[in-house]
Amino acid sequence: MNFWLVLTVNSVTFGGLLFLLASGFSLIFGLMRIPNLTHGSLFMLGAYIGGSIVIGLFGFKMNFWLAAVLAALTVAALGALIERFLLRQLPGDQLAQVLVTLGISFMAADFCLMVWGGDPMSVTTPEGLGGFARIGGAVFPLYRLAIIAIAVVVAIALWLLLDRTRLGAMIRAGVDDPDMARVVGIRVSQLFTIVFALGAGLAAFAGIIGGPILSVYPGLDQDMLPLALLVVIIGGAGSLLGSFVGSILVGFIYNFGQALLPELAYFVLFLPMLLVLLLRPQGLFGRHVP
Amino acid sequence: MATSALRLDNVDAFYGDSHVLQNVSFELGEARMLGLLGRNGAGKSTCMNVGMGLLAARRGEVSVFGEKVTRLSPEMIAARGVALVPQGRRIFRSLTVRENLIVAGRKPDAGSNHAPWTIDTVFGMFPRLKERTAQMAAHLSGGEQQMLAIGRALMGNPRVLLMDEPSEGLAPQIVAEVMATIRKLKESGLSIILVEQNPNLVFDVADDIVILNTGGVAVVSTPAALRQDDALLRQHLGVF
Repeated sequence: MNFWLVLTVNSVTFGGLLFLLASGFSLIFGLMRIPNLTHGSLFMLGAYIGGSIVIGLFGFKMNFWLAAVLAALTVAALGALIERFLLRQLPGDQLAQVLVTLGISFMAADFCLMVWGGDPMSVTTPEGLGGFARIGGAVFPLYRLAIIAIAVVVAIALWLLLDRTRLGAMIRAGVDDPDMARVVGIRVSQLFTIVFALGAGLAAFAGIIGGPILSVYPGLDQDMLPLALLVVIIGGAGSLLGSFVGSILVGFIYNFGQALLPELAYFVLFLPMLLVLLLRPQGLFGRHVP
Repeated sequence: MATSALRLDNVDAFYGDSHVLQNVSFELGEARMLGLLGRNGAGKSTCMNVGMGLLAARRGEVSVFGEKVTRLSPEMIAARGVALVPQGRRIFRSLTVRENLIVAGRKPDAGSNHAPWTIDTVFGMFPRLKERTAQMAAHLSGGEQQMLAIGRALMGNPRVLLMDEPSEGLAPQIVAEVMATIRKLKESGLSIILVEQNPNLVFDVADDIVILNTGGVAVVSTPAALRQDDALLRQHLGVF
């Protein structure tokens, strides 16, 4: 009984982390039609930058949460620069965008290796969340429960932003029909920068939040990127609900697959993607784009 | 000569290698309505797209109230007071009726002597939209979607309104409603280009007529003159 409960909590925790990572990826793809292959790198950069601040690697130390916010803001600014000075030069050219974002991800990986070396960096659990919570007969790490709570809060905040503000309506209009959005006077290029920076910041935030359970190591980017792709393909690009449901689904499939069928873990993980692509290519909650 | 609200001068435009507009010139006078007629594929919608900046003219000039806008983006042209009611309506389907209007809101230009369009005045013109304010636009009927597309364009407080086949796919009764709205807009002093396939709809409301044929301007005339010239209409529109 305990085994299943713990596996379930781990799945939801991992789903929550994936949501933080994939919601930005999905928004960027939905609005800008850019398959941003730097997303895994942004996650890893966030983890390295945040982790370094937490352990005082650069000569100054901050508490975990401030470090997480600072890492997210730094990477968001980097995302805005990538969008403005590189991707904006390649409008509508998806092959070039894929190649450029892939190239940046290689450069980021090399940069991280140069600055932080090849050894994994462990990030300590934030103060006060190192213990366990006893619920019913089961014991759960407090930090994992905190990640679930953070993912829910971010999901609600994103939902409020997208669904209850004029900026959110403008972003959704841009996802619906970018040309018409421009015709009604929406400066879609500005929205692109905002959304790209938001997505980058969220990915970095996910990176540092995930640090205490995943640790930070070279190759973390390439481990996370396919999972974000998986979430977006299953949930549907541009859909917040799709990202949420897709993340939780992938969280469950990943954890249960690893625990029950370890030799088939990747088969189990990517089979739903194959089925969705065959039966509902726009994803569970995505809109069909002709 | 009165000021021209929108003017195309010797415009050539292409879709890929396809040369769709050839040396097109016409002008829309201020506070006038120009009917743009032509068969399918004559280049009517392309003219609208060039006017709105969705398709760049490869040669020639487009100007709005005397200011050249040829190389400007759609959002910059919108900021100069041009709005488009596009063919097929293209409302934002995943937004509510209210959101469709809110995202298009733009303050009128300084010095404008018209009462500004707001959500309330748009709802005043289209009470049916008010009843469906929180409904997803995708779930509206064709007529309601057309009203929303017109309302959305008006929210930008335009000085020039480009309307691309607003009667397309609507029941006759709804077409009559839409045409009554267009008449009101004209009376309010808006400069309007009305693209239509059906000349009779346009003749009733337009001041001037331009007929396009295979990507070029074939006729510049008035409704009164054209009503008398069945042969010309048959030649260029294949009707009557």
